[in-house]
Amino acid sequence: MGNKKTKLHYYPGCTLKEKTTNLDDTTYAVMDLLGYELIEPENWTCCGAEFPLTEEKIVGLAAPVRILRQVKLEGGNKVFTVCSFCFNVLKRANEAMVTDPLKHKRINAFLKDDITIDRVTGDKTTGFPEYNGDVSVLHLLEFIRDEVGYEKIRALIKRDLGKVKVVPYYGCRLLRPKGKIGIDKPDDPSIFEEFLENIGCEVIDFPFKQECCGSYLSLSMPDAASEASYNVLRSAKLNGADVLALSCPLCYYNLDRRQDRIKEKFPEFHEMPVLFFTQLLAWALGVDEEILGLDQHFCDPRSVLGIDKSGVEI
Amino acid sequence: MSNNSDSKKKNKKQSETTLEMVPIFIMGKKHDVPATLTIQKAFEYAGYQLVRGCGCRGGICGACGTVYRFPDSYRIEVGLACQTVVKPNMYISQIPFFPANKAVYDIEELEPTGSTVWALYPEIFKCVGCGTCTRSCPMDIDVMEYISRAIRGDIAGAAELSFDCVMCGLCTVRCPSEEVQYNIGILTRRLYGRHIAKRAKHLEDAVENVKQKKFDKGVKKLKKMDIDKLKEIYSARETEPQFGPEEWEPENKDYLITE
Ligand code: SF4
Ligand code: SF4
Ligand code: FES
Repeated sequence: MGNKKTKLHYYPGCTLKEKTTNLDDTTYAVMDLLGYELIEPENWTCCGAEFPLTEEKIVGLAAPVRILRQVKLEGGNKVFTVCSFCFNVLKRANEAMVTDPLKHKRINAFLKDDITIDRVTGDKTTGFPEYNGDVSVLHLLEFIRDEVGYEKIRALIKRDLGKVKVVPYYGCRLLRPKGKIGIDKPDDPSIFEEFLENIGCEVIDFPFKQECCGSYLSLSMPDAASEASYNVLRSAKLNGADVLALSCPLCYYNLDRRQDRIKEKFPEFHEMPVLFFTQLLAWALGVDEEILGLDQHFCDPRSVLGIDKSGVEI
Repeated sequence: MSNNSDSKKKNKKQSETTLEMVPIFIMGKKHDVPATLTIQKAFEYAGYQLVRGCGCRGGICGACGTVYRFPDSYRIEVGLACQTVVKPNMYISQIPFFPANKAVYDIEELEPTGSTVWALYPEIFKCVGCGTCTRSCPMDIDVMEYISRAIRGDIAGAAELSFDCVMCGLCTVRCPSEEVQYNIGILTRRLYGRHIAKRAKHLEDAVENVKQKKFDKGVKKLKKMDIDKLKEIYSARETEPQFGPEEWEPENKDYLITE
């Protein structure tokens, strides 16, 4: 076994650098154990978080296309994300560069005049080449299934998750729109389930796995978001889950951090821990507890991982 | 004879160089100005009296942000009027003032986090990452990059990347998302300076020494000194050499307080 790591482009996205550093940190930790050295494309910006759906107002494509072009300029041919929102935007922007000649032309004409400035020499570069959608955009769940392989994951497992009962929560962004995103079949996905089984969880099915958590309503109509999240968590509990697994920082915000507000609105509500899929994987692969960032959670997930309150593994 | 004609030639050459004129267009009106002038001086040469949009004349205050274009290019060029030499056929307009919102805050009460910036400038999330601000900065700052650092809560990064900002506002004029980048930049630098940067221990020590009146004796002596003597010792004072060693100390240690 050589210890030289394979270089791989990783686009973290803004939220992972401030609000959900637990998702970023566990991604770095597991990828290191799987033999990858992650490269963040230089000068990455926010991807926009929403794919522009209008035909004419396409400025929102500038940022994601620039990020993908940067990956290409740095010699990469693929980039992965863990945030469902970033994944959705990057993947669809990439697809637009292949399938929509007019958007391709306009965005490339605009981005050609970008200026980059060398931090050390102050030299300016402009006149960038066209980007033609030739970097593949992957979600980490996909990358693990297709490139790492479950067999390798199973071989590296250090901690028995003890058949913890987990519901996989896809939310909206990993699967839809149909035909454009598809890390799996939108109506009958199984990728998350397979992943969880392979890292030693007992997977519980539940009818709300593709339902919306309330998404951005948490800003404009917080009550509606509380209700949507309540429905998801309640269903998970009724189906016997110990913990809900997800990949999206906004879902995490609604489903975990909002639980105090949910309790106010629905007094009979029982708290339920929520974990990122990378945290479960990290724990299974033997990563230290402090890297999991469990203090960032509203509902303490330690008991489902078999850690007592003082941090000792039970 | 030959001498004479030589100096004539020389004279002619000299007057030619001083008189090399170039056409420029100030707000659409043509003026011929000496080719060596900066845009700022060219305005004055053409008869404008600059009462706004002109401050330090040295590239520091940021008052003189200017946009220009050439007839054969679609590009919008930018510069500081006091630093940019005129070029033939530039169409120039200065942007002496552009309205900008500015949050009011007490830096002592703020925490150096993304949430602080987002609360004071919530419009930061409207940034679409178009990069126009970076294209518009006469100080060659990657403006979009410091805005993205602020968006993701990297206060130290935003502070460092925006360090050269002279607050000229050219980025702000052209931002499609109505950001006031330079006010966000200075907020991050203040947060950094107040809450993140290491305190300068030697400064605290020096202030303490002042409080303990350790300099009073020397100051008293100077106060009593006759003016000519004062001038003399001032001119003869030792100054730290520009590339001196770290542990440099003056020969005369009368006024030096160490420890
Ligand atoms: S010009 Fe405005 S919208 Fe465009 S990258 Fe700069 S701050 Fe963002
Ligand atoms: S960042 Fe904006 S305000 Fe600051 S120097 Fe550059 S263009 Fe001027
Ligand atoms: S006048 Fe101050 S920067 Fe030009």
